Amino acid sequence: MLMILCLSLTISIYFAAKWVYKKRGKVYYSPLVLAPIVLILVLIIFNIPYSTYEEGSKWITALLQPATVALAIPLYKYYPSLKKFFKEIGFCVLIGSILAILISSFLSKLLKLDHSLSASIIPYSITTPIAMNIASIIGGVPTITAVFVILTGIIGMVLGPVIIIQFHLKSDIAKGVLLGISAHGAGTAKALEFSTGAGAIASICMILAAMISFIISPLIPFFI
Amino acid sequence: MKRIGVGVLQVACLCIFTYAINGITSWLNWSIPGSILGLVILFLLLKFKIISLKWIETGGNWLVAELLLFFIPAAVGILQYKQLIIGNGLKILAVLIISSSIVMVCTGLVAEKLTSRKEKIETHAHDTVLKSHN
Repeated sequence: MLMILCLSLTISIYFAAKWVYKKRGKVYYSPLVLAPIVLILVLIIFNIPYSTYEEGSKWITALLQPATVALAIPLYKYYPSLKKFFKEIGFCVLIGSILAILISSFLSKLLKLDHSLSASIIPYSITTPIAMNIASIIGGVPTITAVFVILTGIIGMVLGPVIIIQFHLKSDIAKGVLLGISAHGAGTAKALEFSTGAGAIASICMILAAMISFIISPLIPFFI
Repeated sequence: MKRIGVGVLQVACLCIFTYAINGITSWLNWSIPGSILGLVILFLLLKFKIISLKWIETGGNWLVAELLLFFIPAAVGILQYKQLIIGNGLKILAVLIISSSIVMVCTGLVAEKLTSRKEKIETHAHDTVLKSHN
């Protein structure tokens, strides 16, 4: 019973947040910011354990993978125009993936985070399943990595648009590249708000970033 | 009404497709996640006209439009790591925010420079093609 309640509560709070976000347009009303905060408060106030919540909400999480697969649709529609910029996009992803690893490991060292925590943070910017995979390879805790990945998604959704405005980035390619490389699926969703083209670019960047990070992951232990 | 039925059916097909690929990758012990492999395979199927966009478009667009919904339970999952957040939360946030920002600024600027130069060389206005139809 509580299970079904958690499931329907998540869906209704999401649509409510989406409605508020559409009306107000402020980033802190974005469904991925507002809905988790409201849900966490509900769980704390009514003393509902996360395991109970998860029982109900796993049906929502189960759709994440088919939704990721469905990103093939914008990719297919925009393929002819994306093809022309493939080299540029690939170059940006390579720079972005290397930077993400170098900077996060440098900062973890600077702030004296312990080894397993650093190893859990370093794959922070790529899509969850691959990030968890890399974390376990380099000695991190995959489930903690999953939390950092989602936090990064939220950070990217909030700061990405600010950076796009501050640095006067006008092309769909720059918007898609920036959001897809640094904020995986959540960034792709944000890029789709800008335009379908930017969303298609973001999804390509998400895939490439995951692949490149996976390939260079054996080198990561040298940095931590 | 009919559109809703078609959409639900298409979502179901995409789920079956995804979880079938998941099954195959884990059976073969591959470390590629099913969702990424599925995305690439579905793209190739569309590109080589093995399946038509119409067969999955309605349901697929729904899933893409509500992408953020599917991340919410994972975000609520932060609740499980109260201790970690109380102890190291600020440091962790600092690492994530600073490195995300640097990566975003660098990749965004490089992409803008590279593509605007290319656009100048080729006088065609690519961005008219790329502009949104939303």
